[in-house]
Amino acid sequence: MKFSDYLKNRFVNIIIYLFLIIITFLLLAAFKVNQSLIFVLISLLIVFIIINFLYDYFRKKNFYDTLTYNIKNLNKKYLISEMIKKPNFIEGQILYDVLYDTTKSMNEHINEYKFSLENFKEYIELWIHEVKTPLAGGLLMLHNNSKSDKKMMEILNKINGYVEQVLYYARSENPEKDFIIKKVNLNSIVKKVVSNNKENFINKKISVKLEDLDVSIYSDPKWLEFIINQIIQNSLKYSKNNDESYVKIYSETKDDIISLIIEDNGIGIDNSDLPRIFDKSFTGKNGHNIDHSTGMGLYICKKLCDKLGTKIEAMSTLNEFTKLIITFKVNNFYDVI
Amino acid sequence: MLLCYNSYIWVIDMYKILIIEDDLEIRNELKILLDNNGYSGVILDNFDKVKENIISKKADLILLDINIPNINGQHLLKELREEIDTPIIMVTSKNTEIDEVISMSYGADDYITKPYNPNILLLHIEAILKRTNKTNNVLNYKNITLDTSKSMIYHENGEITLSRNEMMIFYYLIKNEGKIVSREDIMNYLWDTEDFIDDNTLTVNIARLRNKLEDAGLTNVIETRRGQGYILI
Repeated sequence: MKFSDYLKNRFVNIIIYLFLIIITFLLLAAFKVNQSLIFVLISLLIVFIIINFLYDYFRKKNFYDTLTYNIKNLNKKYLISEMIKKPNFIEGQILYDVLYDTTKSMNEHINEYKFSLENFKEYIELWIHEVKTPLAGGLLMLHNNSKSDKKMMEILNKINGYVEQVLYYARSENPEKDFIIKKVNLNSIVKKVVSNNKENFINKKISVKLEDLDVSIYSDPKWLEFIINQIIQNSLKYSKNNDESYVKIYSETKDDIISLIIEDNGIGIDNSDLPRIFDKSFTGKNGHNIDHSTGMGLYICKKLCDKLGTKIEAMSTLNEFTKLIITFKVNNFYDVI
Repeated sequence: MLLCYNSYIWVIDMYKILIIEDDLEIRNELKILLDNNGYSGVILDNFDKVKENIISKKADLILLDINIPNINGQHLLKELREEIDTPIIMVTSKNTEIDEVISMSYGADDYITKPYNPNILLLHIEAILKRTNKTNNVLNYKNITLDTSKSMIYHENGEITLSRNEMMIFYYLIKNEGKIVSREDIMNYLWDTEDFIDDNTLTVNIARLRNKLEDAGLTNVIETRRGQGYILI
Protein backbone atom coordinates (compact mmCIF):
# COMPACT_ATOMS: atom_id res chain seq x y z
CA MET A 1 0.00 0.00 0.00
CA LYS A 2 1.60 3.22 -1.18
CA PHE A 3 1.13 6.42 0.81
CA SER A 4 0.07 8.30 -2.33
CA ASP A 5 -2.61 5.68 -3.03
CA TYR A 6 -3.74 5.99 0.55
CA LEU A 7 -3.99 9.78 0.25
CA LYS A 8 -5.92 9.53 -3.02
CA ASN A 9 -8.30 7.17 -1.29
CA ARG A 10 -8.71 9.76 1.55
CA PHE A 11 -9.42 12.60 -0.90
CA VAL A 12 -12.76 13.51 0.69
CA ASN A 13 -11.29 13.49 4.20
CA ILE A 14 -8.49 15.78 3.08
CA ILE A 15 -10.96 18.20 1.49
CA ILE A 16 -13.00 18.26 4.74
CA TYR A 17 -9.88 18.93 6.79
CA LEU A 18 -8.86 21.68 4.34
CA PHE A 19 -12.27 23.31 4.81
CA LEU A 20 -11.83 23.03 8.55
CA ILE A 21 -8.45 24.77 8.35
CA ILE A 22 -9.77 27.48 6.03
CA ILE A 23 -12.87 28.11 8.14
CA THR A 24 -10.81 28.17 11.34
CA PHE A 25 -8.39 30.58 9.71
CA LEU A 26 -11.18 32.86 8.45
CA LEU A 27 -12.95 32.80 11.82
CA LEU A 28 -9.75 33.58 13.72
CA ALA A 29 -8.94 36.35 11.23
CA ALA A 30 -12.49 37.76 11.50
CA PHE A 31 -12.09 38.02 15.27
CA LYS A 32 -8.78 39.79 14.68
CA VAL A 33 -6.80 37.30 16.71
CA ASN A 34 -3.13 37.87 16.96
CA GLN A 35 -1.38 36.70 13.76
CA SER A 36 1.24 34.61 15.48
CA LEU A 37 -1.46 32.89 17.51
CA ILE A 38 -3.31 32.10 14.27
CA PHE A 39 -0.12 30.65 12.85
CA VAL A 40 0.48 28.48 15.90
CA LEU A 41 -3.12 27.27 16.05
CA ILE A 42 -3.22 26.42 12.31
CA SER A 43 0.16 24.67 12.52
CA LEU A 44 -0.99 22.62 15.49
CA LEU A 45 -4.13 21.68 13.62
CA ILE A 46 -2.13 20.60 10.57
CA VAL A 47 0.36 18.59 12.64
CA PHE A 48 -2.41 16.71 14.42
CA ILE A 49 -4.20 16.00 11.17
CA ILE A 50 -0.97 14.61 9.71
CA ILE A 51 -0.36 12.48 12.80
CA ASN A 52 -3.89 11.17 12.52
CA PHE A 53 -3.38 10.24 8.86
CA LEU A 54 0.01 8.65 9.51
CA TYR A 55 -1.25 6.55 12.39
CA ASP A 56 -4.17 5.33 10.35
CA TYR A 57 -1.96 4.73 7.33
CA PHE A 58 0.63 2.64 9.14
CA ARG A 59 -1.70 0.35 10.98
CA LYS A 60 -3.60 -0.37 7.76
CA LYS A 61 -0.44 -0.68 5.72
CA ASN A 62 0.82 -3.27 8.17
CA PHE A 63 -2.27 -5.43 7.78
CA TYR A 64 -2.82 -5.07 4.05
CA ASP A 65 0.84 -5.50 3.15
CA THR A 66 1.01 -8.83 5.03
CA LEU A 67 -2.20 -9.80 3.29
CA THR A 68 -0.99 -9.00 -0.23
CA TYR A 69 2.46 -10.43 0.43
CA ASN A 70 0.99 -13.71 1.60
CA ILE A 71 -1.52 -14.01 -1.20
CA LYS A 72 1.25 -13.46 -3.74
CA ASN A 73 3.58 -16.05 -2.23
CA LEU A 74 1.14 -18.67 -1.07
CA ASN A 75 0.92 -21.79 -3.14
CA LYS A 76 -2.46 -22.66 -1.79
CA LYS A 77 -4.12 -19.26 -1.74
CA TYR A 78 -7.19 -20.54 0.03
CA LEU A 79 -5.13 -20.85 3.22
CA ILE A 80 -4.77 -17.04 3.43
CA SER A 81 -6.92 -16.61 6.52
CA GLU A 82 -4.52 -18.85 8.46
CA MET A 83 -1.64 -16.58 7.56
CA ILE A 84 -2.87 -13.22 8.89
CA LYS A 85 -3.55 -11.87 12.37
CA LYS A 86 -6.83 -10.30 13.26
CA PRO A 87 -6.26 -6.53 12.83
CA ASN A 88 -7.21 -3.83 15.37
CA PHE A 89 -9.36 -1.68 13.08
CA ILE A 90 -12.96 -2.30 12.20
CA GLU A 91 -12.83 -2.70 8.38
CA GLY A 92 -9.95 -5.12 8.72
CA GLN A 93 -11.78 -7.10 11.34
CA ILE A 94 -14.83 -7.41 9.13
CA LEU A 95 -12.65 -8.51 6.21
CA TYR A 96 -10.85 -10.99 8.42
CA ASP A 97 -14.07 -12.54 9.67
CA VAL A 98 -15.51 -12.76 6.17
CA LEU A 99 -12.32 -14.39 4.84
CA TYR A 100 -12.31 -16.83 7.72
CA ASP A 101 -15.90 -17.88 7.13
CA THR A 102 -15.47 -18.17 3.36
CA THR A 103 -12.38 -20.34 3.71
CA LYS A 104 -14.04 -22.56 6.24
CA SER A 105 -17.09 -23.09 4.12
CA MET A 106 -14.97 -23.67 1.01
CA ASN A 107 -12.83 -26.24 2.82
CA GLU A 108 -15.90 -28.09 3.91
CA HIS A 109 -17.14 -28.04 0.36
CA ILE A 110 -13.81 -29.33 -0.97
CA ASN A 111 -13.70 -32.06 1.64
CA GLU A 112 -17.07 -33.26 0.53
CA TYR A 113 -15.74 -33.68 -3.01
CA LYS A 114 -12.49 -35.19 -1.81
CA PHE A 115 -14.41 -37.73 0.15
CA SER A 116 -16.71 -38.66 -2.67
CA LEU A 117 -13.78 -38.86 -5.12
CA GLU A 118 -11.89 -41.06 -2.68
CA ASN A 119 -14.93 -43.32 -2.39
CA PHE A 120 -15.25 -43.47 -6.14
CA LYS A 121 -11.59 -44.38 -6.58
CA GLU A 122 -11.85 -47.08 -3.96
CA TYR A 123 -14.87 -48.48 -5.72
CA ILE A 124 -13.12 -48.39 -9.09
CA GLU A 125 -10.13 -50.31 -7.71
CA LEU A 126 -12.43 -52.84 -6.14
CA TRP A 127 -14.49 -53.14 -9.28
CA ILE A 128 -11.38 -53.71 -11.41
CA HIS A 129 -10.29 -56.55 -9.16
CA GLU A 130 -13.78 -57.98 -9.36
CA VAL A 131 -14.05 -57.76 -13.13
CA LYS A 132 -10.71 -59.46 -13.58
CA THR A 133 -11.98 -62.69 -12.11
CA PRO A 134 -14.62 -63.32 -14.80
CA LEU A 135 -12.11 -62.13 -17.40
CA ALA A 136 -9.64 -64.72 -16.19
CA GLY A 137 -12.42 -67.30 -16.21
CA GLY A 138 -13.40 -66.46 -19.77
CA LEU A 139 -9.85 -66.63 -21.05
CA LEU A 140 -9.26 -69.96 -19.33
CA MET A 141 -12.50 -71.33 -20.72
CA LEU A 142 -11.52 -70.29 -24.24
CA HIS A 143 -8.09 -71.82 -23.80
CA ASN A 144 -9.51 -75.12 -22.59
CA ASN A 145 -11.97 -75.27 -25.42
CA SER A 146 -10.14 -77.25 -28.07
CA LYS A 147 -11.69 -75.19 -30.84
CA SER A 148 -10.74 -72.01 -29.13
CA ASP A 149 -12.07 -68.87 -30.70
CA LYS A 150 -9.21 -66.50 -31.58
CA LYS A 151 -11.48 -63.54 -32.20
CA MET A 152 -13.16 -63.98 -28.84
CA MET A 153 -9.79 -64.24 -27.15
CA GLU A 154 -8.71 -61.03 -28.85
CA ILE A 155 -11.84 -59.28 -27.63
CA LEU A 156 -11.34 -60.44 -24.05
CA ASN A 157 -7.73 -59.31 -24.16
CA LYS A 158 -8.87 -55.94 -25.44
CA ILE A 159 -11.35 -55.60 -22.58
CA ASN A 160 -8.57 -56.45 -20.18
CA GLY A 161 -6.43 -53.74 -21.73
CA TYR A 162 -9.11 -51.11 -21.22
CA VAL A 163 -9.66 -52.27 -17.64
CA GLU A 164 -5.94 -51.88 -16.96
CA GLN A 165 -6.05 -48.37 -18.38
CA VAL A 166 -8.77 -47.34 -15.93
CA LEU A 167 -6.84 -48.91 -13.06
CA TYR A 168 -3.67 -47.01 -13.84
CA TYR A 169 -5.58 -43.80 -14.47
CA ALA A 170 -7.05 -44.09 -10.98
CA ARG A 171 -3.61 -44.89 -9.61
CA SER A 172 -1.95 -41.98 -11.35
CA GLU A 173 -4.38 -39.69 -9.51
CA ASN A 174 -3.34 -40.84 -6.06
CA PRO A 175 0.02 -42.41 -6.34
CA GLU A 176 0.83 -42.37 -2.66
CA LYS A 177 -0.85 -45.73 -2.68
CA ASP A 178 0.79 -48.81 -4.09
CA PHE A 179 3.96 -47.73 -5.73
CA ILE A 180 7.34 -49.09 -4.81
CA ILE A 181 10.66 -48.14 -6.31
CA LYS A 182 12.99 -51.06 -6.67
CA LYS A 183 15.72 -52.34 -8.88
CA VAL A 184 14.28 -53.49 -12.19
CA ASN A 185 16.00 -55.28 -15.00
CA LEU A 186 14.82 -53.81 -18.30
CA ASN A 187 15.35 -57.07 -20.14
CA SER A 188 12.93 -59.09 -18.03
CA ILE A 189 10.25 -56.42 -18.02
CA VAL A 190 10.43 -55.76 -21.78
CA LYS A 191 10.34 -59.47 -22.56
CA LYS A 192 7.30 -59.90 -20.36
CA VAL A 193 5.45 -57.12 -22.19
CA VAL A 194 6.42 -58.40 -25.65
CA SER A 195 5.30 -61.88 -24.65
CA ASN A 196 1.96 -60.51 -23.47
CA ASN A 197 1.40 -58.98 -26.88
CA LYS A 198 2.45 -62.06 -28.81
CA GLU A 199 -0.89 -62.58 -30.60
CA ASN A 200 -0.64 -59.13 -32.14
CA PHE A 201 3.01 -59.49 -33.11
CA ILE A 202 2.50 -62.93 -34.63
CA ASN A 203 -0.72 -62.13 -36.47
CA LYS A 204 0.58 -58.88 -37.92
CA LYS A 205 3.94 -60.48 -38.66
CA ILE A 206 5.81 -57.68 -36.96
CA SER A 207 9.30 -58.64 -35.91
CA VAL A 208 10.86 -57.80 -32.56
CA LYS A 209 14.41 -56.64 -32.09
CA LEU A 210 15.77 -56.42 -28.55
CA GLU A 211 19.21 -54.96 -28.01
CA ASP A 212 21.36 -53.94 -25.02
CA LEU A 213 18.58 -54.44 -22.55
CA ASP A 214 20.54 -56.09 -19.77
CA VAL A 215 20.63 -53.01 -17.57
CA SER A 216 18.95 -52.25 -14.28
CA ILE A 217 17.17 -49.11 -13.28
CA TYR A 218 15.09 -48.03 -10.31
CA SER A 219 11.35 -47.81 -10.81
CA ASP A 220 8.07 -49.46 -9.94
CA PRO A 221 8.02 -52.61 -12.09
CA LYS A 222 4.23 -52.76 -12.45
CA TRP A 223 3.90 -49.14 -13.49
CA LEU A 224 6.80 -49.42 -15.88
CA GLU A 225 5.26 -52.55 -17.36
CA PHE A 226 2.03 -50.66 -17.99
CA ILE A 227 3.89 -47.76 -19.61
CA ILE A 228 5.96 -49.98 -21.91
CA ASN A 229 2.85 -51.98 -22.74
CA GLN A 230 0.97 -48.85 -23.85
CA ILE A 231 3.85 -47.77 -26.07
CA ILE A 232 4.28 -51.19 -27.66
CA GLN A 233 0.55 -51.44 -28.28
CA ASN A 234 0.69 -48.09 -30.04
CA SER A 235 3.57 -49.33 -32.17
CA LEU A 236 1.51 -52.37 -33.12
CA LYS A 237 -1.60 -50.32 -33.77
CA TYR A 238 0.12 -47.77 -36.00
CA SER A 239 2.35 -50.16 -37.89
CA LYS A 240 2.36 -50.22 -41.69
CA ASN A 241 1.72 -53.97 -41.59
CA ASN A 242 4.21 -54.91 -44.26
CA ASP A 243 7.09 -57.40 -44.36
CA GLU A 244 9.60 -54.91 -43.03
CA SER A 245 7.54 -53.84 -40.02
CA TYR A 246 9.44 -54.08 -36.80
CA VAL A 247 9.49 -52.86 -33.22
CA LYS A 248 12.97 -52.30 -31.87
CA ILE A 249 13.54 -51.94 -28.16
CA TYR A 250 16.95 -50.99 -26.86
CA SER A 251 18.69 -48.98 -24.20
CA GLU A 252 21.36 -46.32 -24.26
CA THR A 253 23.58 -45.37 -21.35
CA LYS A 254 25.14 -41.95 -21.15
CA ASP A 255 26.95 -40.99 -17.94
CA ASP A 256 24.36 -41.45 -15.23
CA ILE A 257 21.38 -41.52 -17.57
CA ILE A 258 19.81 -44.65 -19.00
CA SER A 259 17.25 -44.33 -21.79
CA LEU A 260 14.89 -47.03 -22.87
CA ILE A 261 13.97 -46.52 -26.50
CA ILE A 262 11.04 -48.12 -28.26
CA GLU A 263 11.27 -47.54 -31.97
CA ASP A 264 9.04 -48.65 -34.80
CA ASN A 265 8.90 -48.05 -38.53
CA GLY A 266 5.18 -47.43 -38.55
CA ILE A 267 3.13 -44.61 -39.99
CA GLY A 268 4.75 -42.03 -37.71
CA ILE A 269 3.27 -38.90 -36.20
CA ASP A 270 2.59 -35.63 -37.97
CA ASN A 271 4.92 -32.85 -36.86
CA SER A 272 2.04 -30.65 -35.83
CA ASP A 273 0.61 -33.44 -33.66
CA LEU A 274 3.86 -34.40 -31.99
CA PRO A 275 3.92 -31.86 -29.13
CA ARG A 276 0.41 -32.80 -28.10
CA ILE A 277 0.48 -36.60 -28.04
CA PHE A 278 0.76 -36.69 -24.25
CA ASP A 279 -2.25 -34.41 -23.83
CA LYS A 280 -5.46 -35.78 -22.44
CA SER A 281 -7.93 -37.05 -25.05
CA PHE A 282 -5.69 -35.96 -27.91
CA THR A 283 -6.08 -38.29 -30.85
CA GLY A 284 -4.51 -36.38 -33.73
CA LYS A 285 -4.63 -37.36 -37.37
CA ASN A 286 -3.62 -40.96 -36.73
CA GLY A 287 -6.35 -41.38 -34.17
CA HIS A 288 -8.96 -40.23 -36.65
CA ASN A 289 -7.68 -42.54 -39.38
CA ILE A 290 -7.39 -45.62 -37.22
CA ASP A 291 -10.36 -46.36 -35.03
CA HIS A 292 -10.46 -46.89 -31.29
CA SER A 293 -8.22 -44.06 -30.19
CA THR A 294 -9.25 -42.65 -26.87
CA GLY A 295 -6.20 -40.44 -26.48
CA MET A 296 -5.82 -41.68 -22.92
CA GLY A 297 -2.95 -44.18 -23.20
CA LEU A 298 -0.02 -41.82 -23.57
CA TYR A 299 -1.66 -39.26 -21.29
CA ILE A 300 -1.71 -41.81 -18.46
CA CYS A 301 1.87 -42.85 -19.31
CA LYS A 302 3.02 -39.27 -19.01
CA LYS A 303 1.25 -38.85 -15.67
CA LEU A 304 2.77 -42.04 -14.30
CA CYS A 305 6.22 -41.01 -15.54
CA ASP A 306 5.86 -37.63 -13.84
CA LYS A 307 5.04 -39.34 -10.55
CA LEU A 308 7.90 -41.79 -10.94
CA GLY A 309 10.29 -38.96 -11.73
CA THR A 310 11.21 -40.31 -15.13
CA LYS A 311 11.10 -38.44 -18.38
CA ILE A 312 9.15 -39.56 -21.42
CA GLU A 313 9.45 -37.97 -24.85
CA ALA A 314 8.67 -38.77 -28.44
CA MET A 315 10.42 -38.30 -31.75
CA SER A 316 8.92 -39.08 -35.12
CA THR A 317 9.02 -38.52 -38.85
CA LEU A 318 5.79 -39.04 -40.70
CA ASN A 319 5.75 -42.31 -42.66
CA GLU A 320 9.17 -43.27 -41.39
CA PHE A 321 9.51 -43.95 -37.71
CA THR A 322 8.34 -43.22 -34.19
CA LYS A 323 10.63 -43.32 -31.17
CA LEU A 324 9.44 -43.17 -27.60
CA ILE A 325 12.21 -42.51 -25.12
CA ILE A 326 11.94 -43.12 -21.40
CA THR A 327 14.83 -41.69 -19.45
CA PHE A 328 15.92 -42.94 -16.04
CA LYS A 329 18.46 -41.26 -13.85
CA VAL A 330 20.89 -43.59 -12.17
CA ASN A 331 21.01 -42.10 -8.75
CA ASN A 332 24.08 -42.90 -6.69
CA PHE A 333 21.93 -42.57 -3.62
CA TYR A 334 20.37 -45.95 -4.32
CA ASP A 335 23.72 -47.66 -4.61
CA VAL A 336 24.50 -46.72 -1.04
CA ILE A 337 21.44 -48.59 0.15
CA MET B 1 1.41 -93.91 -11.87
CA LEU B 2 2.92 -96.46 -14.19
CA LEU B 3 3.03 -95.93 -17.91
CA CYS B 4 4.21 -98.23 -20.58
CA TYR B 5 5.45 -97.26 -24.04
CA ASN B 6 7.02 -99.86 -26.36
CA SER B 7 8.80 -101.98 -23.77
CA TYR B 8 10.24 -98.88 -22.08
CA ILE B 9 8.91 -98.66 -18.58
CA TRP B 10 9.26 -95.71 -16.31
CA VAL B 11 7.45 -94.05 -13.52
CA ILE B 12 5.88 -90.69 -14.01
CA ASP B 13 4.83 -88.74 -10.98
CA MET B 14 1.56 -87.05 -11.69
CA TYR B 15 2.02 -83.87 -9.79
CA LYS B 16 -0.90 -83.02 -7.58
CA ILE B 17 -1.77 -79.35 -7.74
CA LEU B 18 -4.16 -77.93 -5.19
CA ILE B 19 -6.44 -75.15 -6.42
CA ILE B 20 -7.62 -72.72 -3.76
CA GLU B 21 -10.02 -70.38 -5.47
CA ASP B 22 -13.54 -69.31 -4.58
CA ASP B 23 -14.78 -68.58 -8.09
CA LEU B 24 -16.52 -71.73 -9.31
CA GLU B 25 -15.91 -71.20 -13.02
CA ILE B 26 -12.25 -70.42 -12.64
CA ARG B 27 -11.49 -73.35 -10.41
CA ASN B 28 -13.24 -75.80 -12.70
CA GLU B 29 -11.48 -74.41 -15.75
CA LEU B 30 -8.16 -74.45 -13.90
CA LYS B 31 -8.69 -78.09 -13.07
CA ILE B 32 -9.41 -78.87 -16.74
CA LEU B 33 -6.32 -76.93 -17.80
CA LEU B 34 -4.10 -78.77 -15.32
CA ASP B 35 -5.59 -82.18 -16.08
CA ASN B 36 -5.13 -81.58 -19.81
CA ASN B 37 -1.48 -80.82 -19.27
CA GLY B 38 -0.36 -83.83 -17.33
CA TYR B 39 -1.06 -82.68 -13.81
CA SER B 40 -3.70 -83.73 -11.39
CA GLY B 41 -5.75 -80.72 -10.37
CA VAL B 42 -7.45 -80.92 -7.00
CA ILE B 43 -10.03 -78.37 -5.92
CA LEU B 44 -10.34 -77.29 -2.33
CA ASP B 45 -14.05 -76.74 -1.83
CA ASN B 46 -14.27 -76.60 1.91
CA PHE B 47 -13.01 -73.34 3.30
CA ASP B 48 -13.56 -74.24 6.99
CA LYS B 49 -10.36 -75.06 8.83
CA VAL B 50 -8.65 -74.10 5.63
CA LYS B 51 -5.09 -74.57 6.85
CA GLU B 52 -5.61 -78.11 8.14
CA ASN B 53 -7.53 -78.91 4.99
CA ILE B 54 -4.74 -77.76 2.74
CA ILE B 55 -2.08 -79.63 4.66
CA SER B 56 -4.09 -82.85 4.61
CA LYS B 57 -4.28 -82.78 0.81
CA LYS B 58 -0.51 -83.27 0.58
CA ALA B 59 -0.25 -81.45 -2.75
CA ASP B 60 2.96 -80.99 -4.69
CA LEU B 61 2.10 -77.40 -5.49
CA ILE B 62 -0.55 -74.96 -4.32
CA LEU B 63 -2.27 -72.26 -6.36
CA LEU B 64 -3.54 -69.86 -3.73
CA ASP B 65 -5.93 -67.01 -4.47
CA ILE B 66 -5.39 -64.00 -2.22
CA ASN B 67 -9.05 -63.00 -2.06
CA ILE B 68 -10.89 -65.95 -0.59
CA PRO B 69 -13.97 -64.87 1.35
CA ASN B 70 -13.33 -64.40 5.07
CA ILE B 71 -9.69 -65.39 4.73
CA ASN B 72 -6.68 -63.19 4.27
CA GLY B 73 -4.62 -65.01 1.67
CA GLN B 74 -1.35 -63.48 2.77
CA HIS B 75 -2.03 -64.38 6.38
CA LEU B 76 -2.91 -67.93 5.37
CA LEU B 77 0.30 -68.11 3.37
CA LYS B 78 2.32 -67.08 6.41
CA GLU B 79 0.63 -69.71 8.55
CA LEU B 80 1.13 -72.41 5.92
CA ARG B 81 4.79 -71.58 5.65
CA GLU B 82 5.24 -72.32 9.34
CA GLU B 83 4.18 -75.90 8.76
CA ILE B 84 4.86 -76.98 5.19
CA ASP B 85 7.30 -76.07 2.46
CA THR B 86 5.14 -77.03 -0.51
CA PRO B 87 5.68 -74.57 -3.37
CA ILE B 88 2.95 -71.94 -3.40
CA ILE B 89 1.96 -69.69 -6.29
CA MET B 90 -0.14 -66.72 -5.27
CA VAL B 91 -2.86 -65.96 -7.82
CA THR B 92 -4.54 -62.60 -7.55
CA SER B 93 -6.30 -59.83 -9.34
CA LYS B 94 -4.43 -57.27 -7.22
CA ASN B 95 -1.76 -56.11 -9.56
CA THR B 96 0.44 -54.06 -7.28
CA GLU B 97 4.07 -54.28 -6.41
CA ILE B 98 3.34 -54.01 -2.70
CA ASP B 99 1.12 -57.10 -2.70
CA GLU B 100 3.75 -58.97 -4.63
CA VAL B 101 6.54 -57.97 -2.27
CA ILE B 102 4.46 -58.93 0.78
CA SER B 103 3.54 -62.30 -0.71
CA MET B 104 7.11 -63.11 -1.64
CA SER B 105 8.37 -62.09 1.77
CA TYR B 106 5.81 -64.39 3.40
CA GLY B 107 7.29 -67.24 1.44
CA ALA B 108 5.37 -67.51 -1.82
CA ASP B 109 7.37 -69.04 -4.63
CA ASP B 110 5.70 -67.06 -7.36
CA TYR B 111 3.04 -64.43 -7.92
CA ILE B 112 0.69 -64.39 -10.89
CA THR B 113 -1.98 -61.83 -11.65
CA LYS B 114 -5.38 -62.40 -13.20
CA PRO B 115 -6.22 -62.68 -15.96
CA TYR B 116 -3.28 -64.95 -16.60
CA ASN B 117 -2.21 -66.41 -19.86
CA PRO B 118 -2.80 -70.16 -19.37
CA ASN B 119 0.44 -71.10 -21.14
CA ILE B 120 2.41 -68.77 -18.94
CA LEU B 121 0.73 -70.16 -15.82
CA LEU B 122 1.75 -73.65 -16.94
CA LEU B 123 5.30 -72.49 -17.62
CA HIS B 124 5.52 -70.99 -14.14
CA ILE B 125 4.20 -74.20 -12.57
CA GLU B 126 6.69 -76.23 -14.56
CA ALA B 127 9.59 -73.97 -13.64
CA ILE B 128 8.78 -74.13 -9.94
CA LEU B 129 8.34 -77.89 -9.91
CA LYS B 130 11.67 -78.22 -11.69
CA ARG B 131 13.36 -75.93 -9.20
CA THR B 132 11.91 -77.45 -6.06
CA ASN B 133 11.55 -81.11 -6.88
CA LYS B 134 14.71 -81.85 -8.75
CA THR B 135 12.57 -83.44 -11.45
CA ASN B 136 14.32 -85.00 -14.32
CA ASN B 137 14.39 -82.84 -17.37
CA VAL B 138 14.00 -85.88 -19.53
CA LEU B 139 11.17 -86.57 -21.94
CA ASN B 140 10.71 -89.75 -23.86
CA TYR B 141 9.15 -90.36 -27.22
CA LYS B 142 9.29 -93.88 -28.60
CA ASN B 143 12.96 -94.75 -28.37
CA ILE B 144 14.13 -91.16 -28.39
CA THR B 145 15.03 -89.36 -25.17
CA LEU B 146 15.13 -85.57 -24.96
CA ASP B 147 17.15 -84.03 -22.14
CA THR B 148 16.04 -80.42 -21.91
CA SER B 149 18.73 -79.45 -19.40
CA LYS B 150 21.47 -80.41 -21.83
CA SER B 151 19.51 -79.73 -25.01
CA MET B 152 20.39 -83.20 -26.29
CA ILE B 153 18.57 -86.06 -27.95
CA TYR B 154 19.69 -89.57 -27.07
CA HIS B 155 18.71 -92.50 -29.28
CA GLU B 156 19.84 -96.01 -30.16
CA ASN B 157 22.56 -94.88 -32.54
CA GLY B 158 23.98 -91.99 -30.57
CA GLU B 159 23.15 -88.45 -29.62
CA ILE B 160 22.18 -85.17 -31.28
CA THR B 161 22.89 -81.67 -30.02
CA LEU B 162 20.05 -79.21 -30.54
CA SER B 163 19.94 -75.44 -30.53
CA ARG B 164 17.59 -73.84 -28.01
CA ASN B 165 14.89 -73.18 -30.61
CA GLU B 166 15.10 -76.68 -32.05
CA MET B 167 14.93 -78.13 -28.55
CA MET B 168 11.88 -76.05 -27.61
CA ILE B 169 10.07 -77.03 -30.80
CA PHE B 170 10.81 -80.71 -30.29
CA TYR B 171 9.84 -80.44 -26.62
CA TYR B 172 6.50 -78.91 -27.53
CA LEU B 173 5.84 -81.57 -30.16
CA ILE B 174 6.57 -84.36 -27.67
CA LYS B 175 4.35 -82.74 -25.06
CA ASN B 176 1.53 -82.76 -27.60
CA GLU B 177 2.33 -86.19 -28.94
CA GLY B 178 -0.40 -87.61 -31.16
CA LYS B 179 -2.03 -84.21 -31.67
CA ILE B 180 -1.68 -81.96 -34.67
CA VAL B 181 0.27 -78.90 -33.70
CA SER B 182 -0.15 -75.85 -35.90
CA ARG B 183 2.70 -73.50 -36.74
CA GLU B 184 0.83 -70.86 -34.82
CA ASP B 185 0.71 -73.06 -31.70
CA ILE B 186 4.48 -73.50 -31.87
CA MET B 187 5.00 -69.78 -32.39
CA ASN B 188 2.75 -68.99 -29.43
CA TYR B 189 4.60 -71.44 -27.23
CA LEU B 190 8.00 -70.04 -28.18
CA TRP B 191 6.80 -66.48 -27.57
CA ASP B 192 5.46 -67.52 -24.16
CA THR B 193 8.94 -68.73 -23.31
CA GLU B 194 10.16 -65.26 -24.37
CA ASP B 195 11.75 -66.45 -27.56
CA PHE B 196 10.46 -64.00 -30.14
CA ILE B 197 11.05 -65.76 -33.44
CA ASP B 198 9.38 -64.89 -36.72
CA ASP B 199 7.78 -67.15 -39.28
CA ASN B 200 10.93 -67.62 -41.38
CA THR B 201 13.04 -68.56 -38.39
CA LEU B 202 10.44 -71.15 -37.44
CA THR B 203 10.59 -72.68 -40.94
CA VAL B 204 14.39 -72.77 -40.81
CA ASN B 205 14.42 -74.30 -37.33
CA ILE B 206 11.96 -77.04 -38.21
CA ALA B 207 13.94 -77.90 -41.34
CA ARG B 208 17.16 -78.06 -39.31
CA LEU B 209 15.55 -80.21 -36.64
CA ARG B 210 14.29 -82.61 -39.30
CA ASN B 211 17.71 -82.75 -40.97
CA LYS B 212 19.42 -83.51 -37.69
CA LEU B 213 16.94 -86.28 -36.94
CA GLU B 214 17.28 -87.72 -40.42
CA ASP B 215 21.08 -87.58 -40.34
CA ALA B 216 20.88 -89.72 -37.25
CA GLY B 217 18.72 -92.21 -39.08
CA LEU B 218 15.49 -91.12 -37.43
CA THR B 219 13.33 -90.62 -40.50
CA ASN B 220 9.79 -89.34 -40.59
CA VAL B 221 9.61 -88.46 -36.93
CA ILE B 222 7.86 -85.18 -37.58
CA GLU B 223 5.10 -85.45 -40.10
CA THR B 224 3.62 -82.47 -41.91
CA ARG B 225 -0.12 -82.24 -42.25
CA ARG B 226 -0.75 -79.90 -45.11
CA GLY B 227 -2.56 -76.77 -44.07
CA GLN B 228 -2.79 -77.90 -40.46
CA GLY B 229 0.63 -78.27 -38.97
CA TYR B 230 2.93 -80.94 -37.61
CA ILE B 231 2.43 -84.12 -35.68
CA LEU B 232 4.60 -86.70 -33.95
CA ILE B 233 3.28 -90.19 -34.61
